[in-house]
Amino acid sequence: MKGLMVLLDVAAAHLLMRVRQTVVAVAGVGVGVGFFLAVSGMMIGSQNDFIKTLIDSAPHIVASDEQRSAARQPALDAFPQAAVTVRGVRPQDEVRGLKDWPALLADARAIPGAVAAPTLVGAVAVRFAGRTEAVSLNGIDPRIEGKLAKIEESLIGGRLIDLEARPDGIIVTRPMADRLGAHVGDTLVVSSSAGTLQRMRIVALVDPDARAGFYAGDIAGYGLLRTAQVLFARPNVVNQIHVRLPNPQTAERDAARLEARWGYKWVSWEERSRDILNLLVVRDVIMYAVISAILVVASFGIYTAVSNSVADKRRDIAILRAMGFTERDVQVIFLAEGLAVGLIGVLVGFGLGTLLLEALSHAPLTMGGKPLVLPLDRGLRQYAVAGGASLVAALIAAWLPARKAASVDPVEILRGAA
Amino acid sequence: MTPLIEANRVSRTLADPEPFTLVCDASLSVAPGEMVAIVGPSGCGKSSLLYLLGLLDRPTSGSISIDGRVTEDLGEAERTHIRLERIGYVFQFHFLLPELTALANVALPMRRLARLTGDQIAERAAALLEKVGLGDGAGKRPERMSGGERQRVAIARALANDPAILLSDEPTGNLDSANTRMVIAEFQRLAHEEGRGVVCVTHDATVAAAADRRIHMLDGRIVAGD
Repeated sequence: MKGLMVLLDVAAAHLLMRVRQTVVAVAGVGVGVGFFLAVSGMMIGSQNDFIKTLIDSAPHIVASDEQRSAARQPALDAFPQAAVTVRGVRPQDEVRGLKDWPALLADARAIPGAVAAPTLVGAVAVRFAGRTEAVSLNGIDPRIEGKLAKIEESLIGGRLIDLEARPDGIIVTRPMADRLGAHVGDTLVVSSSAGTLQRMRIVALVDPDARAGFYAGDIAGYGLLRTAQVLFARPNVVNQIHVRLPNPQTAERDAARLEARWGYKWVSWEERSRDILNLLVVRDVIMYAVISAILVVASFGIYTAVSNSVADKRRDIAILRAMGFTERDVQVIFLAEGLAVGLIGVLVGFGLGTLLLEALSHAPLTMGGKPLVLPLDRGLRQYAVAGGASLVAALIAAWLPARKAASVDPVEILRGAA
Repeated sequence: MTPLIEANRVSRTLADPEPFTLVCDASLSVAPGEMVAIVGPSGCGKSSLLYLLGLLDRPTSGSISIDGRVTEDLGEAERTHIRLERIGYVFQFHFLLPELTALANVALPMRRLARLTGDQIAERAAALLEKVGLGDGAGKRPERMSGGERQRVAIARALANDPAILLSDEPTGNLDSANTRMVIAEFQRLAHEEGRGVVCVTHDATVAAAADRRIHMLDGRIVAGD
């Protein structure tokens, strides 16, 4: 734009002549942006940490021997255009377990980078020293299961691979062991609904406080797949396939594709955690509403600064107009003032926000007696959102008085001054 | 020769709050090299006529031509451009931008027109200040200048884009006699030596006497002229 620099110079001169008001307006924006970054950094950091835990705590996709709806009757498929009513249908009793599971497993493993493992899950009762507890026993392949979830990092007293060395080995959670009064090395009596009794020795405990991103609940237990098959009297049967993907974000799409092909229910981590994820969306909305309010309040400072500038400079506006500056020129001058305050405020806010995040990352916090490091999001996205929102707020705040300045009638001012 | 300004039966009426006629049926022309004074009692419409001639205001009826160009049908952008390029204003109150130095104030219209380079603008602004006797005061802010100095800077600023027309409203109203004489001499030089059309609204008999022609106004009308 021709002659733009002169407009910017006039805007800068206005701001520099009103240093105190300019500093207050800049500080308002700076504090707003700084706290936006600190609050959103904490909220999004904790949210990302939570979602990561959700993703890591269990396989990304779990296929089970269930179907979302009963199988269609052949007559409906045979006459797709006809009005067919099938009465008195009783679904056939299905044999539990995934049919042709090696093929399902191979298909899941065909996803590039994916890891998949067969699992047999069933309920057992464990008895020790006169106490009995219910356990959901997962018969697993320890070599593969360790790659599916961060179970290994949550173990105390032993390792996952120990299950291979001891086919009668079992891993239970520490709270479960505490309730039973058992320790690593103790032998539990395990009985299944099939009536099989087996003595199993605790080879490790899952520690819920490990914060390794893995914990499937107090009643989860782990043993060898073939041991579980013997215990449940279901040789060569698996009722779940656990899949870990290289990119968790494709879980929903991959699960839908596998489900469409095989009919069984393939549940992604997103579907499994839908309610929690919906809650997080609500949390996000509330967070952005509150911290946006900070920015809006900060923009009031800009509005006040530019408004006062317009009120003080009515004579200058009149003479500029008389000299041949257009209404748009005048508007640009005052918009530039608001934008400059916003821009400097944003830069100050970036510095303040970075300092606040740094301070929060070193805050001496504890949880359950252990040091707690706040998960913080320091992504550029938050800086861009805070900066962009502040500049837009600054422009809007400056636009109203700038428009008023542009509409100043120079004759009215000059006549009044004469 | 085409007059620089030609007003033909120009009227300006305010409708709000009650109808009030500021200028009624005024006709005049200003030729290049001519200094014209508009005189009359306060409130007779002198300044209103000046604002009409300088395209700051639009007449309710009648027509005004600048350099032979009829201005009634021009849009605001074109009228503003004519002001920038062809008309210079000097007011009773200097109206310098207080944040800027004398040099920066003089440079403003040239920077807005953007026909010259930065160096050329600085050079011309300095030369204009030199011409009005303020060669040493280029770096001063208005607050550190006397009334006469400010008015001289305002004259230099009005001449920045080398306008053909110089309009002034009570240019000596706040000046002592020495500065008044300086302003009058400068206006005469601008008209007679540089060929500009100078229109001067004034109460000051000295200024009026120095003009080539005097136009007398009363109650919004031109009642006499010589």
